[in-house]
Amino acid sequence: MHGLSLSTLATLLGWGTLVGMDLVSVPQMMIARPLVAGSVAGLILGDPEAGLRVGVLMELFALDVLAVGAVRYPDYGPATVAAVLAAVGQRWQVALGPAVAVALLTAAAGGWSMRFIRHANARSIQARSAALSAGESTAIRTLQYLGLARDLARSVLLTTLGLLLARLASPLVGPRLWPMALAAIAVGLAAVLDGALRSAGQGKRLYWLAAGLTAGTLWVLIR
Amino acid sequence: MTGRWRAFLRLFAVQGAWNYERMLGVGMGYAAEPMLEDLKSADPGRHAEAVVRSAEFFNCHPYLAGLALGAMVRAEYDGVPGPQILRLRTALSSPLGALGDQIFWAGVLPSLLGAALVLVAFGHGLWAIGLFLALYNLCRLVTAVWGIQAGAASGMQVGSRITGSWLAGTAERIGSAAGFLVGLAVPMIIAWFLGGSDTRFIAAVLGVAGVTLGLTRRYGTVLTSLRLGLAALLLALLFFRGLA
Repeated sequence: MHGLSLSTLATLLGWGTLVGMDLVSVPQMMIARPLVAGSVAGLILGDPEAGLRVGVLMELFALDVLAVGAVRYPDYGPATVAAVLAAVGQRWQVALGPAVAVALLTAAAGGWSMRFIRHANARSIQARSAALSAGESTAIRTLQYLGLARDLARSVLLTTLGLLLARLASPLVGPRLWPMALAAIAVGLAAVLDGALRSAGQGKRLYWLAAGLTAGTLWVLIR
Repeated sequence: MTGRWRAFLRLFAVQGAWNYERMLGVGMGYAAEPMLEDLKSADPGRHAEAVVRSAEFFNCHPYLAGLALGAMVRAEYDGVPGPQILRLRTALSSPLGALGDQIFWAGVLPSLLGAALVLVAFGHGLWAIGLFLALYNLCRLVTAVWGIQAGAASGMQVGSRITGSWLAGTAERIGSAAGFLVGLAVPMIIAWFLGGSDTRFIAAVLGVAGVTLGLTRRYGTVLTSLRLGLAALLLALLFFRGLA
């Protein structure tokens, strides 16, 4: 990550911010998926291979999450953008472990930050309850724009935190860290299987999952 | 631009002010505003009441929010009593949430991601991402347009419209597709990572994955994949650095 220009870092920060807002606020067009977020980050940094490798692995973690209702879930989008910075320009086999560590820490912070702004949004509503009860459209608009502004700030801060962690982790990457890549791939595999089994339950979907796993394994064995 | 189209665009940010008190309520009120504008001149008193109702507590899947929005706005213009509209709002929350979660979060999304991961394993990474984004957003946009139009056409009869629509059947079918495609992608993508690796390395990955899966299946509420991931990375760092 040496020699990164300020404009590249700013682009990365901008991309991480968009990705962070996409998760919940706007427009929810799935650029927040690690596969997308990581690959584009790789393109921005001129290392598509690193972006894709990190993006795919983080996607396995993200597939474990069913983002329903009011649950708190990790924010893997900006986390993946930051992780790509930690991995860029290095052999992915040794960079993957530290990059995933950066991503998981950032994603956890992202989960907490979402909880924080949801409470802040609720407090804003309470402060404007009289205007809302009077049917003032301006109060609704203000609350909406405040909510969006909070998520914008959250996404900027989260991406910045992730990029700082990546900056700290990047010099530590070295050949001796290959076992971390092993651990990251193994837990990613467990995560995607856990999510798939949970979604499948006991019904027909479980048989389709088994059929898919069998077909995929056969393809791997006979190719 | 008509009020309905402005509302449609605003629905992209329906979760913009998501909170634990009214959930999607504020976003729904924000999206409803342009559709309720004509009511302001026709019946200002009713308009003010409708604005209050539009931002009350509401929760459903964001992509199906247009269905509820259209129905509630139509009910306001039809002069349906306020308490009935609030009951409709409450009644729509759970089914639209459950259907949307099944169709999109547990269906379309993992299906297309599974397909994208298969394409990545075949070496078509960037195409896979472009195709995923295009297809997913096509599904989402078609649903959103249909939702707001169907809701506005149905009003208080939106429940029967939902029952007779494509939503329920799709939820079941897409779940099977998601199961198959994610299942298909998993071995292929692991092979993409481990291709050419030493057998002991592959065995170690499968072993650690097996133990981790057992832990998440048994203690998933506490030992999430994120926490186990951090723990495994830390252990790998400490253990192997110690050996080195």
